[in-house]
Amino acid sequence: MTPIDLQDRAQYLSLALFAQEVVSVLIEYVDEEKSDNLDAALNKALSSLKGAESSSVSSPPRAAAFTSYEQLRTLEEVWKRRDRDKAKRMILEVLRQPRSSKAKPAANSLIDLFSKLQDQALWNFEQPRPVSPGVMQRLCKLA
Amino acid sequence: MQTGIAAFLHDAAVLYTLADFIEKYCKEQARSQRYTDASGDFFRYSQSVAHEVKERLGHDVDRAGNLPSSRVDTLRRNALTFKNYLRVLHTFIKPVADAHTLSIPAPLVELACEHLRQIQGMSGSRVAVLLTPLLMYFQRPHTHVKQQAETVGRLIPEAEEFPPRLGFIELPYSQGPGFFTNLAIYHEMGHFVYEELSTSTSPIAQFVSLAQATDRSLRRFTKLQKDAQLQRLAEKIIESWTQEVFCDLLALYLVGPAFSFALVEIFALLGSLSREKRVTFSQEHPAPAFRFAEHVEFLRNGCKWWSAIADVKPDQKKLLLEFSEISRRQYTVYEDDVPKALIAPFLDTIVPRIRELVRGIAPDATPAAERFSNERETIEDCLKVGVVPHSRVGGPPDPVSIINTAFCFYLTSLPDIVERFEGTKAAASAEKRSEWTRKLEDWTMKAIEDSQIQSQFERMQRDGPQQERNSRTHT
Repeated sequence: MTPIDLQDRAQYLSLALFAQEVVSVLIEYVDEEKSDNLDAALNKALSSLKGAESSSVSSPPRAAAFTSYEQLRTLEEVWKRRDRDKAKRMILEVLRQPRSSKAKPAANSLIDLFSKLQDQALWNFEQPRPVSPGVMQRLCKLA
Repeated sequence: MQTGIAAFLHDAAVLYTLADFIEKYCKEQARSQRYTDASGDFFRYSQSVAHEVKERLGHDVDRAGNLPSSRVDTLRRNALTFKNYLRVLHTFIKPVADAHTLSIPAPLVELACEHLRQIQGMSGSRVAVLLTPLLMYFQRPHTHVKQQAETVGRLIPEAEEFPPRLGFIELPYSQGPGFFTNLAIYHEMGHFVYEELSTSTSPIAQFVSLAQATDRSLRRFTKLQKDAQLQRLAEKIIESWTQEVFCDLLALYLVGPAFSFALVEIFALLGSLSREKRVTFSQEHPAPAFRFAEHVEFLRNGCKWWSAIADVKPDQKKLLLEFSEISRRQYTVYEDDVPKALIAPFLDTIVPRIRELVRGIAPDATPAAERFSNERETIEDCLKVGVVPHSRVGGPPDPVSIINTAFCFYLTSLPDIVERFEGTKAAASAEKRSEWTRKLEDWTMKAIEDSQIQSQFERMQRDGPQQERNSRTHT
């Protein structure tokens, strides 16, 4: 038996820490010209965003984020479809040409997006909402 | 409401206070009580993280005055995130501190850890025990804490690493020193094993098959493909059911039918055996009738335990049989709680893979059943006359034999022993029965402790002190 409340809240905190890590390496890159961890963090973010759209649910390896209902719900609460596309595009821009003039503005936009995600994850950690009866009804209807 | 640097300083002070308390509290606990090694490691980790969070805060406060407001907001957000991580550790620290060796069934926990390390892929694992105020057994999911610890480790590299292969099990504080219902820790340990398997970088073949079976089952629901959130929700339900069946089977492999009897007792305590509840799948658990059907299937056909307990006929065994005979057509769900359509693919496609997985990682259960058949009479003879079970010749009996014999004795012969020692009237007294149950549990626990000490002595004689220590932590 598992204490579900803690497990679900932990999902939000994991997401907040994930976003914090992405923001931290982007700030190091923008403010201090450091890019030691940039590739690893942005690639993880990119594969997680792509994984969020995948229909495969159980096959390993798992992405670093957006693998659970709670994390996916948080993402959908704070980023619209176009934000996701924008984030993926900008991550690729920074990854491909970190020294180009467009890379730093893209990194700043990513800092804003991931900061919003971190805020929302922290909010949901504080105020976790159970799965609404409406969502469960929809699942029961569709399954 | 404060903003900018003032707000950050306010939040930093709050976080500092929490981190400082955690650092000092963990240091003090490790000094003042005796704990299992795993709990000690957890205290050291928490102390180190709290210390390094304080250091990081000092650094951030120093530079905040020179940063633009957007970066100060980031520092504030980060402080809040670290505070929440410490809050998660905080929820573990006090229950771990309460579970010092005098308040838990230490020999049973140690035995369970030894069994845990015999499972494929679990060498070197340890379990920290927590005492919960709820009358319920839990395994604290540790995967997220470990993932969070990894991220925190990258953000604060000066902090100690999270102790490797560490699991957390919670016992109700009222049941701490007891024995029989505490066999539930074998099920909870299964959650730890499952989490370790599911996060392994090189998952074993049976686990991959199980994941593929789950994927196949969920893909049948084509309408769900269009909604990622609903898909994750369905996956979460299936994952919960999978873990419950996995944990039950693993516990049966390790400790035999005593686990089934303990689970019946716990379900009775929780009121889960009513006509309605026994056939109902919930979001977190498969129906008790199905779970017990799996128990009977394993005990009958997966090993020799069923024949070993053929002449033991407590009500708990009758209930197991009664539940196992309930047709799966009667399995149901509460309206709008769980999609009933998930049950059939779970039973047909996923459960066979769970059985294969457990068979692949657990030690063969048949030798334990055979030892039980050989040693039961000797153990019972001791319990009948009120002494700690021991062998008249040779080494002490096998711990699994002791556990199963004592549990069968408790279920079938407790009134006899009360009557023998206290008279006919006492056998009908709840207080006396409770008192003698406690005695029986104490003798059982002592017998297990004796058996462990004897095994330790034999290993020492055979392998020398260093090897013996290694075998206890890296079996």
